[in-house]
Amino acid sequence: MTDKKSQNIDLQTTGGGLKYHRGSALSIFKSDRYEDLIALACALLIALGVYYFLK
Amino acid sequence: MVYTRKHPALLIIGIVLLAHGFLIGGGYLGGVIKYLSIGRTVGEMTQLSYIFGGIAGVVGLWHWLGSHKEGNADYYLSTVAGGIFILLVAMIVKWYLAPWVAVLSRAFGPIAGTAAKPTFLHDVLGLNYVVLGIVAGMITVNVFKIPEWAANGVRLSRLGLKTGVILLGSLYSLQELAKLGQLSVVMIGIFVLGSAWLVLLIGARRNISNSMGGVLAAGVGVCGVSAAVAAAPVVRARSDEIAYTIGTILVFGVVCMFLFPVVGHMFNMNYVQFGAWAGTGILNSAQVAGAALAYQPTGDLETLKVGEIFNITRVLFLPIIVLWLAVWYVRRENASGVNVQQVDTIKIIIEKFPVFVLGFILMFALASIGAFTPKMISPFREWLTWLFAFGLTGLGMQITLAAMRQAGGEPMIIGSIVGVLKAVLSLIVVLLFVRGTI
Repeated sequence: MTDKKSQNIDLQTTGGGLKYHRGSALSIFKSDRYEDLIALACALLIALGVYYFLK
Repeated sequence: MVYTRKHPALLIIGIVLLAHGFLIGGGYLGGVIKYLSIGRTVGEMTQLSYIFGGIAGVVGLWHWLGSHKEGNADYYLSTVAGGIFILLVAMIVKWYLAPWVAVLSRAFGPIAGTAAKPTFLHDVLGLNYVVLGIVAGMITVNVFKIPEWAANGVRLSRLGLKTGVILLGSLYSLQELAKLGQLSVVMIGIFVLGSAWLVLLIGARRNISNSMGGVLAAGVGVCGVSAAVAAAPVVRARSDEIAYTIGTILVFGVVCMFLFPVVGHMFNMNYVQFGAWAGTGILNSAQVAGAALAYQPTGDLETLKVGEIFNITRVLFLPIIVLWLAVWYVRRENASGVNVQQVDTIKIIIEKFPVFVLGFILMFALASIGAFTPKMISPFREWLTWLFAFGLTGLGMQITLAAMRQAGGEPMIIGSIVGVLKAVLSLIVVLLFVRGTI
């Protein structure tokens, strides 16, 4: 099994059998790393928004 | 593949939310609000209903009447339907179902506690918006099924959880982190390495393959699914072995998520004790957050803060476990006469290390240098509550019976033995040695 395949596991197919050609069954993003970076961007945006509105 | 479904559902949800905002804001639901004692949330209910009703209305109109072509716009905008669907379920649970359950529970009268501080059935069973949201999600997916127009966006729930964990970093002070950090490194160090070692030992005795033992050790020892996935290449695990591990972690985690708060109330654990126990004893990150918030769903979120520090410490042990498993696997295979080449472990660790942990540390660093003023903390808590409500309700929608059926056989037996042992021993350690508050 290659590294790439080990990431795919059952994860492209959901319990209901729906298969995605992008992302995985648990995420819309192409990799966990990408999802982490988007989450970081979201958190910084929220912090910035709160800072701006309370300033 | 075109992901957007030409369906009026999102538009209808948008209209319903806007109408809800109007009715709440205009005071037309005063009787319901009084009956459920949710007067404090009227402002939040009005604002969020208008904001997300507006978004759902505009995007829903485009979903239904627009023309859709394969591409990024179609892919990402189609997720709005699923995101709003999760949010709608979370809103119903948080604003109406959980308060209603509390009203019914109070009507039965107190079952424990004192006259000054009575304890009701819903307190003991932890039937708050977190637990009910997860249950609502599980019922939605297993009984009614996720509607096709929402299926793509339901996968946004983990993003909500990760964003919540990163934002949580802003709530810690340097003193809190120093105090909790010492405690968590000691406890997690012992329990992570101990449980991984025990899985490998029992696995060898019960003759499961080295790859199965390795991936199960990472999953049970460190932080569930992501650890199992990270360890898989170094022990050359097959897809079915990873699936078994994920199934085992999922079943065990779901049971723990509901059971831990009940046990916590039985032992009258304080927030630090419960957070430390959940962060050590529960196998998967999302379920640590679920149990911690179920134990303390509102207020200062101390339990969540403690639980996540333990959880993040556990993730920081991931490189050590992966390195250990890489060396262990090559030695075991070579000893049994199979010539195995060492894989590039460092490269795998760098590729698979969860970056959101670094995001958490970044937010903590920003808070420590005074980037966030004290009056920002309360809005941050509000955001956190909703991000976790969203993420955990969506998590419930991903707990399918089909996924849980993946668990079974030897991995389930070994995982359960070690998981139960870890939960019981960490409970004893926490009750004996962890004191105080943060």
